[in-house]
Amino acid sequence: MLLASATTLALVLAAAGCRSSEVFDGPDPLGGPPSLSPDVITLEAVIAAEASLIRAYQTAIGGASRAAAQRAELTTLLTQHQQHQAQLYARLVIPAGYAGRLGGRSGLGGRGASGGTASPQARGVPGSRPTGPAQLRAAERESAANLVRQLATAEPSLAQLFASIAACHATHVAALGG
Amino acid sequence: MTSTGSLPALQAALAAEDAAIFGYGVAGAHLAGSRQAAAEQDWTGHNRARDTLAAMISRLGAVPVTGQAFYQLPFPVRDAASAVALAAYLEDGVTRAYLALVAVSAPALRDFGAVAMQASAERAAYWRGSTEAFPGLPASALLPVRPASSS
Repeated sequence: MLLASATTLALVLAAAGCRSSEVFDGPDPLGGPPSLSPDVITLEAVIAAEASLIRAYQTAIGGASRAAAQRAELTTLLTQHQQHQAQLYARLVIPAGYAGRLGGRSGLGGRGASGGTASPQARGVPGSRPTGPAQLRAAERESAANLVRQLATAEPSLAQLFASIAACHATHVAALGG
Repeated sequence: MTSTGSLPALQAALAAEDAAIFGYGVAGAHLAGSRQAAAEQDWTGHNRARDTLAAMISRLGAVPVTGQAFYQLPFPVRDAASAVALAAYLEDGVTRAYLALVAVSAPALRDFGAVAMQASAERAAYWRGSTEAFPGLPASALLPVRPASSS
């Protein structure tokens, strides 16, 4: 019903030769979702990077030669990455209807206008190449450095979250024997 | 966690470093072997950090806060276990102080705080024997999230 009304309105406005923004104050109701803020774009990139780390840990934990103690240690680190991802998702508020680079999962577990019911748990990557401690250390280091590079433009509380996550990644490097 | 001015955040970091220097002096007296060596190394690192922060504050035209002669310890330190706990506690305090620097408006100070808190978080993890998901962040700064789905 709403969709039909909006379509009808657009047709009426088009026939009259004017855009909806010339009729209404504020956001253009027919102009599509508003552009994303830099913080949202940065958040999406950081979430994607965290998802990549999660996949790497899941692959490493799934390695057949992994000892039980080593698997437990890696699982602890994986859980912390999942906590990071959940906090990042919780801060992601994007316009409804915007799929974004996260494949339409934006806002899951948080306050996103698009809503959602699934948890932001990443799935494993069947068939991906083995991931050892050296690769994980390198990925953690790279991720920490990338997070620090985002600090200059992020709003203060988001910058603090990024810095805290980067510090956690640094402790993971040491925990992995770095 | 809110944005703060550069100078108060730098002074707070300096105060945290001074407290750590005092605390490591206490902790080191109850440690031996590799843990004592680690405590000495960390004590030296905190002294260097204090000098760096004091210089940064002076360059801003302010007088660096002076360390106290004595600090009230958070709990009695009478053996190696409590000394190790104190070292972790001190590093947590330093990490929180540097995290405040990440909220200031100057990008260079944000980077400085972020890198410094990585070092203190690593030291805290060493003394605690485990890593934490959000070093320096109080629980109140974390948003409620939906529990993970099993599906």
